[in-house]
Amino acid sequence: MFENPEIAVAELSAADDVEWQALDRRYVARQQVRGLLNVAVLAVAALVLHFLRQQLDSDLPIWAGWVVVAAVAAHALLWPLVSVPKKGYVLRDRDLVYRSGVFWRSVTAVPFNRVQHVETASTPLDRRFGLASLQLYTAGTSGGDLAIHGLPGDAAERMRVFVLRKAGDAVEHD
Amino acid sequence: MTEPRDRPECGLLPSGWRRTSPLAVVFYLGKIYEGLAKNAVQSLAPLAALVVAFQGNKLAALVGGVIVFVVATAVHAFLRYWFFRYAITDDSILIRDGVFRKRQLDIKFERVQGINTSQNIVFRLFGLVTVNLDTAGSSGQEGHLPAVESPFAAELRERIRRSPKAEIEAAGDEHRPETGARTLARLHGGDIVRIGLSSGRVFLVLALLGPLSQSLEEQSDRWVEESEVLQAVGAAHFSFVTAVGLALVVVLAVLAILLAASVVGALLRYHRYTLVADGDVLRWAAGLLTRHEQSVQTVKVQSLYVFQNFILQRFRRFRLRTRQATSGRSSKGSRFEVPICTGDLLAELGSEIFKDELEGLALDPRDSAFQRISRYYLRSRLLIAGVLPGIVAAAAFWPEMGAYGLIWLLWIPVAAVLVWMRYRRYGIAITQDGASFRRGFVGSRLTVWLHRKVQRVSVSQSPFQRRRGLATMKFYLAAGSVTVPFVDYGAAARLRDYVLYRVESSERAWH
Repeated sequence: MFENPEIAVAELSAADDVEWQALDRRYVARQQVRGLLNVAVLAVAALVLHFLRQQLDSDLPIWAGWVVVAAVAAHALLWPLVSVPKKGYVLRDRDLVYRSGVFWRSVTAVPFNRVQHVETASTPLDRRFGLASLQLYTAGTSGGDLAIHGLPGDAAERMRVFVLRKAGDAVEHD
Repeated sequence: MTEPRDRPECGLLPSGWRRTSPLAVVFYLGKIYEGLAKNAVQSLAPLAALVVAFQGNKLAALVGGVIVFVVATAVHAFLRYWFFRYAITDDSILIRDGVFRKRQLDIKFERVQGINTSQNIVFRLFGLVTVNLDTAGSSGQEGHLPAVESPFAAELRERIRRSPKAEIEAAGDEHRPETGARTLARLHGGDIVRIGLSSGRVFLVLALLGPLSQSLEEQSDRWVEESEVLQAVGAAHFSFVTAVGLALVVVLAVLAILLAASVVGALLRYHRYTLVADGDVLRWAAGLLTRHEQSVQTVKVQSLYVFQNFILQRFRRFRLRTRQATSGRSSKGSRFEVPICTGDLLAELGSEIFKDELEGLALDPRDSAFQRISRYYLRSRLLIAGVLPGIVAAAAFWPEMGAYGLIWLLWIPVAAVLVWMRYRRYGIAITQDGASFRRGFVGSRLTVWLHRKVQRVSVSQSPFQRRRGLATMKFYLAAGSVTVPFVDYGAAARLRDYVLYRVESSERAWH
């Protein structure tokens, strides 16, 4: 029998009035290391420039290169401290809600009965910190399927199983 | 409804590997020539080089070359036909093809989003059609069945519609009587002309022609100067007014030719267009030389796209397209299109597609249910697209142009008008079951969808929006996404929670 109970919109559970789960603390360090690896590449480039300048005896403003390296390094060390705490997720009974953004903030919700498949992944760097990422795929190729980075490895796996079970439970017919 | 899955009356029971009609060679030849024509420059350049470099009898070489070319393509087409096999199983269709690189496709009936057929003149003589199967997702996986008999195509279509999954749905829909095929619309001469006239491409070409016309004008000037006849008539008579008149005539002639070409194009594609509703399937067939047929299951429609440019607005007509779950790179052919329709037909198609969930959904861009977005959109966009570039350009050109650089500031009022026009088009109308989003510039484009078909939803805020309590909403559908900018944050959050509730409590399949 088809039921259609009236819904009081004010009583619907609000997706932004929830207890946000923070990402793993180690994710800050992981992001800092990731950033510093980039800095290392830049530093090598700056060093090469430095020696080239001595060789060619030109007056390239080499200090500008080092300023850039320093700025990128500062960003790599500080930005994760600000941005990671702003990210968070909530696993609800019927959907997964994810928030992110320091300046441009967004909250995305993925209902489990729309999930096509779930994936956990971890890069070598992730594994060093015991982290993994969880990615939820929905239908359509409108870009940017929901990915949550910086979860503890075991939590990501548990979430994957949970979401998969919920997605499988969804009773649907046309 | 406890019928067995294998329907004995259906001639499409599991069978062995089959070949298509040898006339499939015609289809492959067409494909090969089409491919060559698309890469005309690359394929002709070496050929031209050969012809130029060749020393002997050029005519003989040319004839020989043409013969070799024809034979080679014919052999290629024949081999493609020879290695093409297909088989029908309980729930899918298997295709094996490829001359050197073999492949096997397994297309599940329930994943087929739509069946399209086309029939060129040769095929029409022999009662054959080419079937294209659209599948969800994975692009490049769509299958062709070239040159199969048209009753077979009809049967296949029926078989796919009656895939086990579809049967459950038919069982749940018992109160809907099977009324058989119903013709919703036929297009006649007037409609064809309207389609041709309202094609945006004509005006695009004209816009591109603008810069070209200048050099054309210079050319004609020179021609006029050199022409002795005109000089004999006397250049004095050739006044400014005549020149302007001549230019006007040329422009009008070009426009007339383009419009005529567009109308002919519309005639080729939409001659004898009939739109039919058959149970839960919408189907159209049309075409002058090559006859196309497209169908779509209404339950598989993810969103409806209603388009009305300023010409269609004059005609009080709409263009309509359904969007199914397909990969983003899918070809144009996968969309089910009604090239022109009246308001009445639009409403009827709406109820065919959305059934009882249509109630109150705005399908007409002028519907009064549309709510404007926040006025702060104007301020934000004017700042980003108008004031900032204007000032930057003025500052950048100051050293060079001096005070004349300030002319760049004139961009600001122009941008203001453009932003205002866009702002006026933005609108969203929400009902209990679905939503309709309008945007556009001069014309209007609507995207209409049901809440329960939403895949994901996000609400985001820029720093500016956060200060003003505004947000941008994004609805991800299985066919594209819809971004609604500058709405009240509280309203956006409530709508999101409601849509989530509708999705999560829905027990009906979205696909």
